[in-house]
Amino acid sequence: MLEIENLHVSIAGKKILNGLTLTVEDGQVAAIMGPNGSGKSTLSYVVAGRADYEVEQGSIRLDGIDLLRKSAAERAALGLFLVFQYPLEIPGVATMTFLKAAINAQRRARGESDLPIPDFMKQVRAAAQKLDISQDMLKRPVNVGFSGGEKKRMEILQMALLEPRFAILDEMDSGLDIDALKTCAEGVNALRGKDRGLLVITHYQRLLDFISPDIVHVMSRGKIVKSGGPELALALEASGYAEYAEGAAA
Amino acid sequence: MIALAPSKADEAFATLLPADASPSERASFAQFRQAGLPSRRVESWHYSDLRARLRTVPPLAAAPDDASLSVARGKLGASARLRIVTVDGFYAPDLSDDVSKIAGVAIASARETDFLGAAADPLLDLNAALSRGGFVLDIAAGARIDPVIEIVALTGAQTDRSRFGRNLIRLGAKARAQIVETRDEGFAGFGDSALFIELGEDAQLDHACRCRETAGVELQSFTATLAARAKLRSVALLAQTPFLRRQYFVSLAGEGAQLHLGGAAVLGRNDHADVTLVVRHDAPHGLSRETFKYVLADHANGVFQGKITVPPHAQKTDGKMMCRGLLLSDEAALSAKPELEIFADDVACGHGAAVTKLDAQNLFYLETRGIPTIEAEKILIDAFAADVFDALESEVLRDLLRVDLSEILGEETLV
Ligand SMILES: Nc1ncnc2c1ncn2[C@@H]1O[C@H](COP(=O)(O)OP(=O)(O)O)[C@@H](O)[C@H]1O
Ligand SMILES: [Mg+2]
Repeated sequence: MLEIENLHVSIAGKKILNGLTLTVEDGQVAAIMGPNGSGKSTLSYVVAGRADYEVEQGSIRLDGIDLLRKSAAERAALGLFLVFQYPLEIPGVATMTFLKAAINAQRRARGESDLPIPDFMKQVRAAAQKLDISQDMLKRPVNVGFSGGEKKRMEILQMALLEPRFAILDEMDSGLDIDALKTCAEGVNALRGKDRGLLVITHYQRLLDFISPDIVHVMSRGKIVKSGGPELALALEASGYAEYAEGAAA
Repeated sequence: MIALAPSKADEAFATLLPADASPSERASFAQFRQAGLPSRRVESWHYSDLRARLRTVPPLAAAPDDASLSVARGKLGASARLRIVTVDGFYAPDLSDDVSKIAGVAIASARETDFLGAAADPLLDLNAALSRGGFVLDIAAGARIDPVIEIVALTGAQTDRSRFGRNLIRLGAKARAQIVETRDEGFAGFGDSALFIELGEDAQLDHACRCRETAGVELQSFTATLAARAKLRSVALLAQTPFLRRQYFVSLAGEGAQLHLGGAAVLGRNDHADVTLVVRHDAPHGLSRETFKYVLADHANGVFQGKITVPPHAQKTDGKMMCRGLLLSDEAALSAKPELEIFADDVACGHGAAVTKLDAQNLFYLETRGIPTIEAEKILIDAFAADVFDALESEVLRDLLRVDLSEILGEETLV
């Protein structure tokens, strides 16, 4: 269970999150919808542990553990995973080397031994096939020269291999055509389960046609301003964010 | 030029010249004495003040006796590769494999006359004057040598020594070979070694140099001459260098010769590594690529000086020189001085130098996958440095360097 309470965050003196409170239960798929600039990516980075944000107040707990006292890598080892809105390209680092380092780092943090290479290869191959990721992509450096869709599929591949307890998907749909969106959504849906919480962040309702949420939260100016069932997303699609936009009466 | 009074070290070298020195050794020595140890006032030595650094000159290393051979043997682990071993700069057949059992390969003790011209450089003069006991490795014309030959430079001394290795590798026309040089002579003493490479027409050599523990003060001179269409690919991995200057003098003498030089220096502590290149395109249609990378932690100091010269007759020259530094500490520094001297009008030449830090976003991305900060940093450092190995065509040599680099990064605490 992810519990965020009264979170206040600023960067470079600019306040971005203003007392955000949110709980996502195990097994739940929660969606956050919000206009651009409302702080959605900031929220995902702060939960994942990026160091350049200043957390002024509030708490973030995963299964009762205080995440704010943990490094980004420790959070990952506790089972947190972030699908980046803009996955990074890392020249010179082979994708397979990266995947192996990530899997084994998390295993070591849990006191397990490294995954034997043949098992690793088998797992990667199986997961890649489901996501339509070619052997050629796996041979390239991490995300280098990948299309937007390929990068997102690679994110879901990592998620499938690392089997997180809780995943945040930051605008997974951005830069995806409909086929790529379907492939990624299928990958995510396959990872739904009663033990795993998902927080799906999006600007558009479209994504939620493919990953149907249990609950929808609306975020505006750094906090959750409204929560409801899936019908809330449809209402937003019809009315737009005008009433939540910067400057609108609260 | 301002004449400097001889330093103590200059004087000390005077006592090292053996009584039985040949006339040409005496001539080289006189040239060295005239120039003296280079100081920062000499432009090409501006960043590596050898005169200030070399305070004492240890005794000349003698040809290895049983005791020093056994010291060296102790350091020489088992290897599946064929090895040529030098001890304190002397070719040591007793410790070496018989590479001449490979068809097309011959090895012999070097004679003075084997070495053709060398660049005008005081340390090359000193090396010519004082070196004894080097080898000449010959690869016959047309021979294609598949097994990797390894040259291992060790010390057998128990105390500081001055070492002057001087070896020659010659490839006949169309010959091909891959050679790894492992320099592990230890921290103590003074080293002034010289390697000469001559490539015949259409010959191809891949050469990797692993510099593990260099002397307290060490000079390495690499001189190469490429005949028409010859290809030389050479990459050096430098680490643990208290004070190293590695200087390259390369002439692309024949038409269409190709040179790929690369280097990665992984430096910490007060390490100082200076790579100085003098590359001369002496014929048309030559191609040269030089890429040197420096990982600089603690108070490390990296120096890159590269000069590509293209005389008027070397039309259609294609040259690119690049130097990059990865700064891991605010106290570390890189001085880069790439230069082009172009007198031909139809050429494509360029150079660049850049210094970066570890990318915080990339680091964060790796960390969110559970990779702890230190490991994530090493992954990025490795990626930064390892791409210079791609200058080599030999997969085996590239892998050797990759393994070495990850071992170095595993041992060093850089960040
Ligand atoms: N590193 C930063 N420095 C300054 N302002 C930032 C930084 N990151 C985000 N912001 C600002 O914070 C606000 C929220 O951004 P973001 O979290 O990316 O919103 P969203 O993901 O909802 O579009 C924006 O106004 C953005 O310009
Ligand atoms: Mg965003």
